[in-house]
Amino acid sequence: MPKCIFIDTTRCTACRGCQVACKQWHDHEAVPTLQTGTHQNPPDLNPNNFKLVRFSEHKLDGRVHWLFFPEQCRHCQDNPPCKDAADEFLEGAIIIDESTGIVICTEKTKELTKEQCEEIIDACPYNIPRLNEKTKELTKCDMCIDRVHAGLVPMCVKSCCTGAMNFGEREDMLKLADEHLAYVQKTFPDAELLDADFLGVIYLVSHPREMYHEYAKRETHPLNRADFLASVTKPFRNILG
Amino acid sequence: MATFTRRGFMKITGAGVAAMSLGQLGFDLKPAYAYAKALKIEGAKEVVSVCGFCSCGCEIIMHIKDGKMISSEGNADYPISEGALCAKGAAFYSMHISDKRVLKPRYRAPGSDKWEEKDWNWMLDKIARKIKDTRDKDFILKNDKGVEVNRWESYFQFGTSQMDNEECAVAHQVCRALGGVHIDHQARV
Amino acid sequence: MTQSWIDIKHANVVLIMGSNAAEHHPISFKWVLKAKDAGATVIHVDPKFSRTSARSDFHVPLRSGTDIAFMGGLVKYIQDNDLIQKDYVTEYTNASFIIADSYKFEDGLFSGYDAATRKYDQSQWAFAKDDKGIPKRDKTLQDPRCVYQLLKKHYERYNLDTVSSITGVSKENLLKVYEIYTSTGKPNKAGTMMYALGWTQHSVGVQNIRLGCMIQLLLGNIGVAGGGVNALRGEPNVQGSTDHALLWHIIPGYNAVPTSAWPTLADYQKANTPVSNDPMSVNWWGNRPKYMVSLLKGWFGDKATAENEFGYNLLPKVEPGVDYAMMFVYDRMYQKKDIKGGMIFGHNPAMSFPNTHKVRAALQTLDWLVMGELHDTETSSFWRQPGVDPKKVKTEVFLLPACQRGEKDGTTSNSGRWHQWHFKGQEPLGESKSMGWMLIEIMNRVRALYEKEKGAFPEGILAHDFLKEYDAEEMAMRINGRFTKDVTINDKTYKKGEMVPSFTLLQNDGSTYSLNWCYTGCYPAEGQNLAKRREHTQTPIQAKLGLFPNYTWAWPVNRRILYNRASVDVNGNPFNPELPIIAWQDGQWVGDVPDGPAPPMAMEGGKYPFIMHTEGHGQLFGPGRVDGPFPEHYEPVETPLTKNPFSSQLSNPCVKLPKSDLDLLAAPGDPNYPIVLTTYSMTEHWCGGGDTRNTPYLLEAEPQLYVEMSHELAEEKGIKNGDVIVVESIRGKVEAVAMVTVRITPFQVEGKTVHLIGMPFCFGWTTPGVGDATNRLTPSVGEPNVTIPEYKASLVNIRKADKVTELAR
Repeated sequence: MPKCIFIDTTRCTACRGCQVACKQWHDHEAVPTLQTGTHQNPPDLNPNNFKLVRFSEHKLDGRVHWLFFPEQCRHCQDNPPCKDAADEFLEGAIIIDESTGIVICTEKTKELTKEQCEEIIDACPYNIPRLNEKTKELTKCDMCIDRVHAGLVPMCVKSCCTGAMNFGEREDMLKLADEHLAYVQKTFPDAELLDADFLGVIYLVSHPREMYHEYAKRETHPLNRADFLASVTKPFRNILG
Repeated sequence: MATFTRRGFMKITGAGVAAMSLGQLGFDLKPAYAYAKALKIEGAKEVVSVCGFCSCGCEIIMHIKDGKMISSEGNADYPISEGALCAKGAAFYSMHISDKRVLKPRYRAPGSDKWEEKDWNWMLDKIARKIKDTRDKDFILKNDKGVEVNRWESYFQFGTSQMDNEECAVAHQVCRALGGVHIDHQARV
Repeated sequence: MTQSWIDIKHANVVLIMGSNAAEHHPISFKWVLKAKDAGATVIHVDPKFSRTSARSDFHVPLRSGTDIAFMGGLVKYIQDNDLIQKDYVTEYTNASFIIADSYKFEDGLFSGYDAATRKYDQSQWAFAKDDKGIPKRDKTLQDPRCVYQLLKKHYERYNLDTVSSITGVSKENLLKVYEIYTSTGKPNKAGTMMYALGWTQHSVGVQNIRLGCMIQLLLGNIGVAGGGVNALRGEPNVQGSTDHALLWHIIPGYNAVPTSAWPTLADYQKANTPVSNDPMSVNWWGNRPKYMVSLLKGWFGDKATAENEFGYNLLPKVEPGVDYAMMFVYDRMYQKKDIKGGMIFGHNPAMSFPNTHKVRAALQTLDWLVMGELHDTETSSFWRQPGVDPKKVKTEVFLLPACQRGEKDGTTSNSGRWHQWHFKGQEPLGESKSMGWMLIEIMNRVRALYEKEKGAFPEGILAHDFLKEYDAEEMAMRINGRFTKDVTINDKTYKKGEMVPSFTLLQNDGSTYSLNWCYTGCYPAEGQNLAKRREHTQTPIQAKLGLFPNYTWAWPVNRRILYNRASVDVNGNPFNPELPIIAWQDGQWVGDVPDGPAPPMAMEGGKYPFIMHTEGHGQLFGPGRVDGPFPEHYEPVETPLTKNPFSSQLSNPCVKLPKSDLDLLAAPGDPNYPIVLTTYSMTEHWCGGGDTRNTPYLLEAEPQLYVEMSHELAEEKGIKNGDVIVVESIRGKVEAVAMVTVRITPFQVEGKTVHLIGMPFCFGWTTPGVGDATNRLTPSVGEPNVTIPEYKASLVNIRKADKVTELAR
């Protein structure tokens, strides 16, 4: 029974309830930040922020478009590249919870070297995992697996003020995503679901994906380990980063 | 546009979550427990509070274990929020345990450059004395036309919409009992 | 709010103006988006493009301080195109009332203005009455002296060209809003207005709201499902704290504060109890003597008797005409230095009050200050603020640690007036205590001193009946009220000590008490605290409307939508049969709790719907406001313009201006301060920021003071995104990080480019490196009716900072 989060970014008000709720549930430390000319803070995902609302603003044809993107691990459905990469180094460091499809960085990631962790981070087309320098663990969103196993929705979804975030069986979420998409396309004909076929966290976006942030888009390529590790990830990262 | 709330989930499963074992919900428990932490709010008492910020009045479930709050989240039963919370509401628990809170009465003497911690009785006695002495000195029984006015103008009392209704009722009564006329709060700013 | 949050989903058009609802009332957007899903158009009119604009159908940028021009143009559009909801306007508003000949309006001034006192003689704006004392009416709305025609005359100057030129809104955008919004003038359509401090914090704040209400009345949008005028109440319990009158000018339950002009209770009751000769007017405030006596009885208990005026003589009396509002308290503290001490609970004026320099200087004149707070704030620590030598500050400060919400029992009232009980989850941390406890403990000691030593007017204090120990449950019961003796009313006998089940049973003879009549009925019997209810049970009509009558309790009498009698025609049939709030069926009302049990207006015994007004009608003409019966555009006190195109009155002729060496104002069009500053809050922080800056997760998300500005202005000033800049007004300067954004655009106003910048005001020096009070820039300018300061529009200039002292980099 794979679980799935569906995020309709066209309903997001960037209230950041999800961002804070995630931190509080995980007992994460607050990180020191500075104002640098954007509302997005912290600037990026980090071991204490598994969820981050990204802000990007554009002016097209005289109209302002302020786009919000509640970023988190996508929980790739099959062969998550991070897991594939990790398996090369240490079986069980990253696993898929079979009952839910949730991708988990386990405590075993502590045993990975820094270089290995960097390889794994590079393998993620969405640039999600982060190395906790203190604990040496690789970290990322765990979809509140403790809650999900207890029949509760993940904290970010629970907090969402407007129904931008939804959680349930993958099948139901795909259906919901299609309904939302049809509705949103009336206003934004180019709206799309991001990589819905592969992912356990499906985003609906109204604008071209690269307008949200650099990693919202993944290159379409076969989801197999050999291809990823051999050629795709490094150049991909280099192009964007 | 269905939203998956706690209530929604309960409807789907056909029973309260608490009443069902994880196995019944269809989870394979064995692999899960190897890496998933136990649910920290398991067995905690749920107590309803209300967010202390804007007037949406979002209700919050506090999870209480051994008399201490250990977590908080939105109350899905509240018809207005349906369990949701913004950044401020979501920080309810962390706000309660913040080490920035003042937890002991503090006194600052005239000309001093620091706070001193004092006990409550010392503070309250001293405050009562200040109120009495100042009021006795400045109380106005009659205005310049000789009309009885019974007021104390050298005193003010400000705040607060952070108070509960019951506290507000006391606050207003305290001010008028003292003869206060300078009473105001956030509604005007 | 006249509606409930949920009812917003029924709107056909949502006009968010003077509010950034998505950021400041995030949950409201759950319901706004549901309205949008159902086909509603959501419009955001606001100086900057915010998270609210991002989720609206469109955003219309408006120069701050020009809402009346914008809405005056809408009134003209409605009248020119005859788009009113006719039945509603003729029957339920005072459009048909004839106005006395003494009312005039010439060149920006209404009749009765006295330039010396800056006040109007409001009696010149009276309704003409017939020989029975009932207002004369012309329901054809043709009489040139009827309100409808006077309204038309008043706003004929508000044509598109002038409105566009003064507001900076394009004519195309004006027409777009006017056209869409007026589509709600049909009986089965509803438009809702959501406003907040963006309307109130102006020198014309009350008139901004009046004009919003007037448009809603013209379009028949008040009292109906999905319609309303919604003050999105700011602070957590500002609804309740206002009901309980933490304000100088009223006492609990919206009763005027006693003044020396009313030395006896009889004087007070006479002056404050309106009389209507119209049998169809409910004239609700005719009940005031019952509420007043019940309040006095609640305060003075057995000591209150008819013989001693129920203790009325013990109450302090203010002087008529004197303004005791915060703005003037600080002025007196600073200038006369004769305010000696006081108590501030949960409030941080050293951050949140305008012209903060003056507040911070004023506090230093105090002998003593008691603070009840969760955190050490800029106010509690004013004696060690930057630039102050503590040795020179004589003030004794007592900082009492307050507990958090989850550590106490009690109620707060949400914006829809739901009275919600919250339960104590844990003991207060450390030695922190509830503010109720603090007040009672202080009072116990003060009373003991007066009992022992006597002193000035001890009876004033000792006659009051206070709890010995603070107890929220008992206070809730006292607020609801009890019978003080056995009473028989309408054949039913109530025993002494029983709870009063409804405010209709409150009496003026001392046989009942209640600390606030609005809340009577919330605790109708021992053990029945309805604020604790959490039931979802509904009738089908309630389910359709999204009313939850068994979830907590709403004042008054659990009514969820105010003025709902205006949602039906004179025969009791809903204007919108699809969404009836109430309906007259088989000789009774069904649906929400109606605004009074009387039958529909056309039937015998029928009553007018706007029961709180003496005449029973919605007030298109509002003679009760001190600055005019019709809203008129005046420029903010600090304005980039030197001329007002509507009249030769540049700013509000009644505005209140404290005068001191620190109350400097930039001249109109001052070239040294050409930029308009508006201030605002944000999702992540709250007011002065004391509570939220001390919550690390929130500080992480919004860590430092910023200033939002357009690319055009930034380029003009050589400023880049992320630069630290200095914002300077005639009163002070502030460092902030430049946030250069497409979300703010320059305005074309009266032939020139006007730049506008916006800043939050929550960052203060007690949190190191985050910046300090934005309100060091803003002026002490008081709106004439309520003395709310004009935070939303003032004048500044900006430049890149040479060195950075207030912000960590």
